[in-house]
Formats: sequence, C-alpha cells, structure tokens
Amino acid sequence: MYSDEILDFLKSAKINIGDEIRATAKDFGIDGEIMPNTEATHPEIIVIKLKNGYNVGVNFRKIKITKVKSGKGMPEFPKAEFKQDKKLPKISLIYTGGTIGSKIDYKTGGVYMLVKPEELLYEVPELAGIACISSKELFSISSEDMSYREWQAIANAVEKEAMAGADGIVITIGTDTMHYAAAALSFMLKDLHIPVVLTGSQRSSDRGSSDAFMNLICSTYLAAKSNIGEVGICMHSSSSDDKCHFIRGTKARKMHSSRRDAFRPINDRPIALVDIKGNIEYRNSYSKKSKDIGRAITGFQNSVALVKAYPNSTPDIIDFYLQKGYEGLIIEGTGLGHTPTSTKDKNYSWLPKIKNAVSKGMIIGMTSQCIYGRVNENVYRNLRLLRNAGVIYCEDMLPETAYIKLGWLLGNYKKEDIPKLLNTDIAGEIKERSEYDEFLV
Amino acid sequence: MTKKEGMIVTDNGIGYYHSIGFLCGLEIHQRLATKNKLYCQCAASPLQTDAMISNVYRHQRAVAGESGNIDMSAKFEEAKDKTFKYNVYRNTSCLVDIDEEPPRDVNGEALDAALAIASSLDMKFMDELEPMRKEVVDGSNPTAFQRTTIIGIDGSIKIGSYSIDIPAVSLEEESAGIVSNSENATVYDTNRIGIPLIEIDTSPYIESPARAKEIALRIGTLLRVSGKVQRGIGTIRQDVNVSIKEGARVEIKGLQEVDMLDTFVENEVLRQVNLIKIRDILLGRKASVGHIVDLSDLLKNTSVKVINNSAKNGAVIFGFRLIGFDGILGTEINPNRRLGSELGDYAKMAGVKGIIHSDENLEQYGFTINEIEGIKNRLSVGRGDAFILLAGEEPISKKAAELVIERAEYAMKGVPKETRSALDAELGTTRFMRPLPGGFRMYPETDAKPLLLTKTIIDNARLSAPDIEKEVSALKKDFGDDALAKQMLLSPRLVAYKKITNGIKVDRKFVANMLLQKFTEMKRQNIDVDSVDVSLLESVFKKFTEEELTKQGVEEAIRRLAIGGGTIDGIIKANGLERISGKQLALLISRIKGDEKLERSQLIKKIMGKYRFNIDGAELNELLGR
Repeated sequence: MYSDEILDFLKSAKINIGDEIRATAKDFGIDGEIMPNTEATHPEIIVIKLKNGYNVGVNFRKIKITKVKSGKGMPEFPKAEFKQDKKLPKISLIYTGGTIGSKIDYKTGGVYMLVKPEELLYEVPELAGIACISSKELFSISSEDMSYREWQAIANAVEKEAMAGADGIVITIGTDTMHYAAAALSFMLKDLHIPVVLTGSQRSSDRGSSDAFMNLICSTYLAAKSNIGEVGICMHSSSSDDKCHFIRGTKARKMHSSRRDAFRPINDRPIALVDIKGNIEYRNSYSKKSKDIGRAITGFQNSVALVKAYPNSTPDIIDFYLQKGYEGLIIEGTGLGHTPTSTKDKNYSWLPKIKNAVSKGMIIGMTSQCIYGRVNENVYRNLRLLRNAGVIYCEDMLPETAYIKLGWLLGNYKKEDIPKLLNTDIAGEIKERSEYDEFLV
Repeated sequence: MTKKEGMIVTDNGIGYYHSIGFLCGLEIHQRLATKNKLYCQCAASPLQTDAMISNVYRHQRAVAGESGNIDMSAKFEEAKDKTFKYNVYRNTSCLVDIDEEPPRDVNGEALDAALAIASSLDMKFMDELEPMRKEVVDGSNPTAFQRTTIIGIDGSIKIGSYSIDIPAVSLEEESAGIVSNSENATVYDTNRIGIPLIEIDTSPYIESPARAKEIALRIGTLLRVSGKVQRGIGTIRQDVNVSIKEGARVEIKGLQEVDMLDTFVENEVLRQVNLIKIRDILLGRKASVGHIVDLSDLLKNTSVKVINNSAKNGAVIFGFRLIGFDGILGTEINPNRRLGSELGDYAKMAGVKGIIHSDENLEQYGFTINEIEGIKNRLSVGRGDAFILLAGEEPISKKAAELVIERAEYAMKGVPKETRSALDAELGTTRFMRPLPGGFRMYPETDAKPLLLTKTIIDNARLSAPDIEKEVSALKKDFGDDALAKQMLLSPRLVAYKKITNGIKVDRKFVANMLLQKFTEMKRQNIDVDSVDVSLLESVFKKFTEEELTKQGVEEAIRRLAIGGGTIDGIIKANGLERISGKQLALLISRIKGDEKLERSQLIKKIMGKYRFNIDGAELNELLGR
C-alpha cells in the first residue's frame, strides 16, 4: 500500500491504481500507468509503468498528474483447454501456499495463486498426460507462518482424499519449513499407505527457469506411478534440471537457503530418483503402497521446544520452558550429544537444570547439531551423566524430526509410554544401521 | 557479388529515405568497466585464465506474460525444446549467475558510471529506480530474464548540425556468452553474465543509413571519452531497428563493427523494398501455397546426396507446391540472398539443414529428369508454379515444412516482423533469427531493491559527465597535433590511453603513437594486442618512466605480453629487455669497441644490432659524442 499522503494525492486527482495517466514535472512529462506499491519503495514515491514496459519511480510532490483513461483491473489468468483422462491414476493436488503455487502478475508484481486445474495445466500441460488431477486450495500460508494447526488440516485433507479413492497426493507447500511439515505428516499419516508427495520451488514459477515445473511433473509421476506408501519430499536432486529425488519425510532437511537442490536426505539415501519422463529408480527400502487406508492420527501437543546447546550457553532456558509449562524439550547438542556439563563455572552446567526438569516430568530428548550421524550416550563420561539424568538419546534422528515427533507423541500417547517411543522407530525416523553412503548426498 | 553491386540505394540521400517512410533507431549496448558484476561480487571482466569448475544443465519454458499471453518469440524459443548447459567458473561466476541465489545490492560503481554517461546525454533522472525483469528464453540468461533498470528518460545528443532524441538510457546485465550451439543443446559461459551494460536507445527518427552510422560513432565516442567502459571486441554492440512504409519493423541484432552499420541498414531497406515488390507480383499472379506431401517413397533411391544422407538416417522427405511462385524464389533481394534463402532460414531454425527449391539448378543437385517429373506430378506443380523440398527426421522436418509454408504465405503480405542477425560482415547482409518480440516481456524484479536517487548521486553524476568537446581540447593540448587528437578521439583505445596517462606521468604523445600506430602494426601481424589488460599496459609504461625500459623495449614487452601473457617483470627478465644506461652503457661501449677502430656509425650499428631493445638511441648518441 502507498502512504496515506500518496493515497490522498491520488484520490484528489481522482486516480485509481491501474489508470492511465500523464505525469508532468518541471523538466519532463511521462505517460504511463499507476502501479501498486510493492512495499519496497520510498513513502513519497509513485511507481509508473511507461509505455515501453519499464517502471520508474517519481516523487509525488514533484509532479502534476492527470488521468487519461481508467484502468482495466487485474487481467484474468488464461485457461488451457484440456481433457482429464479418467483412465489415468487419480491424483489430488493440495495447495497450501509457498512460492510454487503463486504467480506474479506481470503488470503489477502482485502475487496470486494458481489453484484451478485449468490454470495449472496452462502452465504445466504435461500433467494432464500423467494423471487425472483434482486440485484444491486448502489455504495460502507462507512457509515461515505454518504451524501444527496447518499440518493437522493437511493431514485431514489427505485422509479425506485417500478415503475418496485418490491413488496418490501431491502437496505444494513453502520450502522453508517443508521438512517440519513432512515429518509431521509422516507421523500423522503413518497408517495411510499411499504416496504423499510434498513439493515446492526455490525459484518462483513466473520465471522460465523456475524449478517448479519439473518438481511438479516429477512429484505427479511419483504420486501416480510409484508403489511407495510413504510421505516424502520430491525436489531437485542437483542444480541441473536433471532428476528429482524423493526423500523420506522424517529424513529430509533443507540444507541451502536458495539452491534448487537444497533438500537432502540426512543419514539416509533418497527413496527414489525420478526424471521428467517419469522414469523411477528406487534407491532405498520403503513401505509399499497398499489398499489398507488407515486413519490420520493428528493430535499434536505444542508445549515442546527445540533448543541448541553451544559454548557459553546458559541452561536458564530450561527453567524458562519449565516455568512456562512445557512438557518436552529436544536439545540440539554438540557432537555425540553433549551440553556443557562439567564446566568450571558451575552456573554454566546444564546437568542440574536437566535433572530438575526431568524430575518434574519434562521429557528431554538429545539430538546432534552435527546434523549428520548418530548420538551416543556411552562414549564419554559427560554423556553418561546426561543419560543418567534422564535424557533420551534419539539415535540418528534429525533435531527437527525429533521435535515434531515429541509434539506428536504428547498429542496422541500416554506420557509414561513416550520416553520409550521417542527413540523407537515409527515412521522411518530412526535407522538401525548407519550406512556408509548416507553422508553428504 | 561485390559490395558495390549490392548497394543500389547507397547514393540516395535523406530525401529518398523520407519518401519511402524510412524509420530507424539504434540501441547501443556497452559494457561498463567496473570491478564487479552488476548484482554480485564476481569479477566483471572475463578472466582468460579463470578455471571452469563445473557445469549445470537447465531447461526453460515460456511463461504467461503481462496480459496472460505468452510472448511469440518466447514460445518460438521454447518450441526448440533445448537443453542449456552453463559452464561455471571459479572467480567470474557464482550462484547468482546460475540462478541459484537472489541478486545482491546493485553495484554502485556501475550505477555512477551509467548516470554520468546519461548526464551527458541530457537525460532526465527519475526519483527512484525500479529494477525490472525482461523475459528472455533463448537460454542466454540462466534466470530466463535480464535485469534492467531505466536510469533516465527524454534526453538527446547533438551531432554537428542535427540532434537525435534519446528516449531512454538503462543499466542492465550482460547475457551469458555462447560457446556452442547444436540442434538439442546450447552451451553458455557464465563468466560474462551479469557484467554491467549501459543501453542507450535513440528515437526511431534517424533520417538515413549514413546518419545511423554517424550517430552510432558519436555515441561510441562519448562512451569511450567517459573512460568508464570496457574496450575490445564484443564490449559494444549495436542493435538497429529499420522499417519502411508498407514494410515492417526489423531488428538487426548485435552488430559489433560500426564501419558497416550504414551498409547493413541500406541492405535492410533494399530487402524490404524487394519483398514488397515480390508481394505485388505474387498478388498479381494470385499466388498461394499448397499442402505438405510426404515424398519419401518417391525419392528413397535417389542419388541426390543431401537427401540421400538424411534418408539413410531415417529422415522423411517433404515437399509442397508454391502456386504462382515460379522464378520468385530465385529473385535476389539482397547481395547473395534470395527469397529462397529467407525461407531456408526458417527451415534451419527448426533444425533441418536447409531447403531445395525449383528455382535452383536441380540437375546440379543430382536429380534425374524422371525424379523431377515425379515430384512435379505428385505435388501437381503446373506452369508458373514452384516447389520446395526438405528432408530431416520427424517431427523436426514436419515442423520445418510448416514454418517454411508460414513464411512463404507471408510473402503475399510483404515483410514479416523479425529479429535478424548479421550473416555476412563483408556484404552487410543478415538472416532471420526469430520473430520480433512483442511488448509483454517486462515485470518488476522483486528480488532487487528499488533505489532512491539522491541529490548527491545526481550531482556527482553531472560532475563526472563525459564531454566530447572538452576531451578534444585536452587531447590537442596533450599532443599539439590536431590530426593525432582526432585519431585518438575516434579510437577504441582512447579508454586505455586515458587510464594510462591518468595513472602515470609519461610522454603522452609516445603513449598515443604506441596505442595507435604500433598497436595497428601488431594487429596486422595477427597479434591480439587489444587483449592485453590496461593495468598491464600501465605497468609497461611505468617501467619506461622509471627508465627500466626503452621505447623499443616498451613495444617489445607489449608484443610479448600479447603473445604469451605474463607479468611485466617476468617478460623483461625472460626476454632480456632491461634498459642499459649510464655507467653500464659506457662500460658496454668500451667493451664492444675493444681495440677495434670502428667508425662511429659502424659502432652504433654494432651496438644497436645486439641491444636495440635495451639501449636508448639518444643516450647512446650522447655518450658517443662525448
């Protein structure tokens, strides 16, 4: 939105955004169209689109402005004529927001959602040859604004689609917290046994180089053609538009802020690679798809936190959460799963605070900030001290996955069973064996 | 055909061009000489020694434009279904260049340079600059768009007695350099992408081809006078838009040499004039184009090599009739170019090798009389008709046939709107590249911040604005020689001259003679002396001022640097170019003289024969005189 001053200025000249105008200043005159404000411009600047397509910014105090013609408003998105082939596998496409489902309006720079199948098929006509697609917009939320309530809603929607006979589900979602959502859905939909594929894009779909097109095509192939019965993430496996990989939802992590191959399997291999022609190459063991569609288990207890231990860190954070009534804590410890423990300055040892919290019923799980590798409760004395204090070592589970799992366990299980469940594999989040080729892949 | 024969309209002055509704505008793109690229911290000059570290493969697709339409030229590129391979370099490309990281803040050095140049063109500055994306899907930008920002509007430039309007000056990113191009893949280097470019557009009211060249030269001079631009081949490119009444706008892209610019424009006019004439003849003959017919069975045993070779690889041979086109395909419309060549361009764009048409000597191709009759029969070619054949794998050959038919049908309408590229730099002819892009290719670059132009920024730009007249008097003062001053002003090496003479105190006339005469001589010997970095040249002249090199030594050092590269110290050492002077020189003289009784001239000959790079002639003379 423009500043109030500019809005008044436009109002007094009876000009709306989108109108064709002539603006004159002391030494120049320009013909163009009033563009909306993108929040990036200075409060005194009006943005005008020139006839040659360029935008320029002029200070409203320096110009006189007259209306030439009223604007047409937002153009409608073009629709492709397409035929849905009923014989193809039935795929439900669920939009939840993020870069992939959005489209920049070329004129204004404003963002709108591509939700209708005909809009989607206009952009990615290949999809009609892969599956019979029904799509729905659940909501439109930025990745960083997602919460467990949205994951619950997605899980319920997926369950509904599966019950209605969908062969597979594709969920488009913002990438920043996609691995949290994937972990949550892995637990919530563990009994569903159909492919649930989360995908997104690192480059918006309004540019010809977007990764969205290939990610969507590969995800649709996986949902339609694979015999995988798990939740996972399907995104570019390399910086090239070559193959996507499908990573187990509990073993995936965003490892780069901007590259299209940001999502990597951690302590795991990808379940499969898939190319744009639909060739699927399985690379790992996985749960098979089956007709046995179980219910979604969507409980989630939000009184869980994820904290990081680091040199000089104070354990007061544990007291804080305890006082706030939190029931669980996942620590991202150093190395094999340490917190400062036998510090010279006793005030910096986490051990007494942890003991106290556990004695008051808080469940504390330990993961590693190394991200790769497995925690261990025996190798060093300090580890043994933490274990004896009641910390549960979470094997090779990702910190984010452990955090999600603890919230989900608290939401659905009896508290006394949780310590045991936390380091027992439920949805592929814990592997018995650490294989050699699972590092930096 | 010689150049002269092609230039039928050369002698026509402005009056003639006015009478045919001639419109012509220039877009001049010049790389700026900045340390870093426009939107990242990579080095902005392609380092010849930079190591390629990887490559990535990408596809691009046309996306719906502003009003929902996909731009025709964008779609045309997408139809080629190409893989783009991008070479990634250590120091000159980063994630920003391969579309894996958002742009960083705009390069202030580039912005200042562009604003200074715009200031001399009397551009009006806006209060805030709004970065835009211009869609490009030929792969030359890994993002599929070019970042571009208008920095000033409504200016003009004066050339002698007239002036031309400059509606806009913009600051934009250079595209990626093409390495190779084949049917399925294009390879690009990403070391060049993102180098800052200034684009200067003139109004379309340039009144003659000669003036187009004059204006391009004038703008080129202004850019060099600014001292803020890169030099060397490819650092400046001019696109020319040309149309005439009843013709169409055609953009000739990427002309690098201004010398031939007028000829290119004259030829484009001639081409349009001839295409209009052809249109009138075809309309008079009620011409039309037939349907595509598969002739593969008819020609499966042909001895015509071009067809035979394709047929062996499972190609399909298509033909079609052109009713009333007899003799038209072979009509010359430009030096060495016929309507048939224009049609062939479209076929080639689809991926086939070319076309064969009936205005050519078919027997020379190896067709038998029977085959020709067979083709004519099958296509129902009658008197006054022509036909076209083409061969290639499906679906490429079918697509090619469709494109050729579309172009042939356009011959009845006249001149298609096209983007064309230089075909023959000697003749000044062009070929079809792609349809002319429409206007729906711009949208805001939301990843880059708008930039408020403060008074300080603008005042600084005005202070450092280049001024050709001032430059001329400065050069005249430098040389005391008007001819040399004029020569330097028009030379692409002016940028190097300014940098060298600003950096060190050195005999300016000596530098000028070196850059103009000696460089040209070396160029004639095929030594790429313009590839030597300016800072390296500066270091050579510095050695001269420090009396470590003689004038001859300077020339030799530059020659060696141009041939093999290296550092100035390395070159001096390796080639024994150290100057010998003072006591050392006196010692040398007495050693060479020895007991021999040589005449002065013989002695000089003997010494200089061996030490011509090392000894300053004047100093030797002086020493011998004593």
